[in-house]
Amino acid sequence: MTWQLITADGVEAAHGLAADEVLCRQVGAGRSPATLRLYTYRSHCALVGRFQNLTQELHLDYCEGHDVQINRRPTGGGAILMGRDQLGITVALNGRGPAMHGRARDLMEQFSGGLLHGLQQLGVEAKFRGKNDLEVGGRKIAGLGIYRDSNGGLLFHGSLLVDLDVPLMARVLRTPFTNIGDRELRIIAKRTTTVREQRGDSIGIEDVRQCIANGFEESFGIRLQRSEHSDEELAAIDALAQDKYFTRAWLHQRSNVPDLSGRKSIRTDAGSIEARVSMAGKTIKSALLLGDFFADENAIVDLEGRLRWHASDAAAIEETIREWAYATSTNGLDPVAIAKVVLAATEGATEDIDGTVPYGCFVTPTQPTTPTDG
Amino acid sequence: MNTEPVFDTPHDRHYSREHNIWTQRDDTGRVRVGVDAFLLSSLGELAYIALFDPGMAVARGHSIGTLEAAKMTTSIAAPISGVITAVNEAVLADPQLINRDPYSEGWLAELDPTNWEAESSQLIFGDDIPAWAEESRQRLSDEAEHNG
Repeated sequence: MTWQLITADGVEAAHGLAADEVLCRQVGAGRSPATLRLYTYRSHCALVGRFQNLTQELHLDYCEGHDVQINRRPTGGGAILMGRDQLGITVALNGRGPAMHGRARDLMEQFSGGLLHGLQQLGVEAKFRGKNDLEVGGRKIAGLGIYRDSNGGLLFHGSLLVDLDVPLMARVLRTPFTNIGDRELRIIAKRTTTVREQRGDSIGIEDVRQCIANGFEESFGIRLQRSEHSDEELAAIDALAQDKYFTRAWLHQRSNVPDLSGRKSIRTDAGSIEARVSMAGKTIKSALLLGDFFADENAIVDLEGRLRWHASDAAAIEETIREWAYATSTNGLDPVAIAKVVLAATEGATEDIDGTVPYGCFVTPTQPTTPTDG
Repeated sequence: MNTEPVFDTPHDRHYSREHNIWTQRDDTGRVRVGVDAFLLSSLGELAYIALFDPGMAVARGHSIGTLEAAKMTTSIAAPISGVITAVNEAVLADPQLINRDPYSEGWLAELDPTNWEAESSQLIFGDDIPAWAEESRQRLSDEAEHNG
């Protein structure tokens, strides 16, 4: 099978997102072939997830004052900073047919497989983790997302860190920290990695793009043929950018679901445990477990991963933590105490924009802030 | 112990095979729509939902809104054509209501159908439900096995 490969660089935010959505529609309707698009945005664009609140996720004043374009993706997940050193990866497939939502998850495996194979060619051994992350040694190198349109078009989005200006990202995206200093930047930097850092060189974006394209050929068993957007696609992209991605209604929309955050600390025999949760209504979006307890970091990361996008009722939290404790070495940490503190943090969560933990795809730490971070 | 998940598929409504959306027509002719158990299983916990406002006309297969769940973001396709007459404000504020009670309190929208007789015949109904449900359950089970 042959897919078209479309490449582009320096793409404007609205047009970049409109192009992905148009491809999804066209491929879903059978008017365009399956497509892999590998592209970079202009430096820089800040893109929030489908339902995120712009003011909560971005430093809008900084963006306005420094020509950082802002927009909203059709896919979910956290805010990202894109530019010449971050590769955007889009796969558009026809997802028509019964039970395609289930099939979409299967295809997600192949999508992440394409990236993993490509990274392998670059000498980077990454693995899939959590909801939609690719990590190297616990440090995030790519974020992934799926969107299915009503036509049956499937859109797989990825953002791969070829390089990253962490201080700039912290100026553009809001972080869970009140102030950003060297310590906070180190915390963020320790939780992300890049292709260049892993390789120890300054490999160019074109070489990365070629390896990723090869990875997709291998993962999907397809052949890629270089192509350009058709005239029909270009017209539709322009129209969609104007009608949707440039509009205030799209950019500044707010969900009826309140964004909440809560935190609670308790002392246990194993040390103090602090739980911080970021919630969409009654759903836990992310949970951080901090404190001076001694524990295997991977076990804590595993638990935080299990609690992402999780129901906040007591029974569900307790069951998940019980399962985690059963499957993991907890180093003496009492699962009942952890469940208690997580539940207390969710029950005490309030709608306070200033206090709500932002959810940047690459900035919200997913590992505990232990004293060794300082 | 049997740990196979149980997927509820009440027989008092129609199901869209392609979109996994249920429809239920009341005595006044209005049709409620919602998410079926198979789609919920593929989506995971719901976090956000947006629905178009009442008054909007939608064609079968076109979007009536979007939702973000743990596993993906998806457009919600109208299983029949009609005019949106109401949206469930409760699920807009608390999308997990759909996870908790997809067939009753977790309904999404009401439509005044414009082509019910013809379009409903393309939906799964009555005696066809068990075979479709078993096929869907088996597919999800195969996927779960495949995904480890």
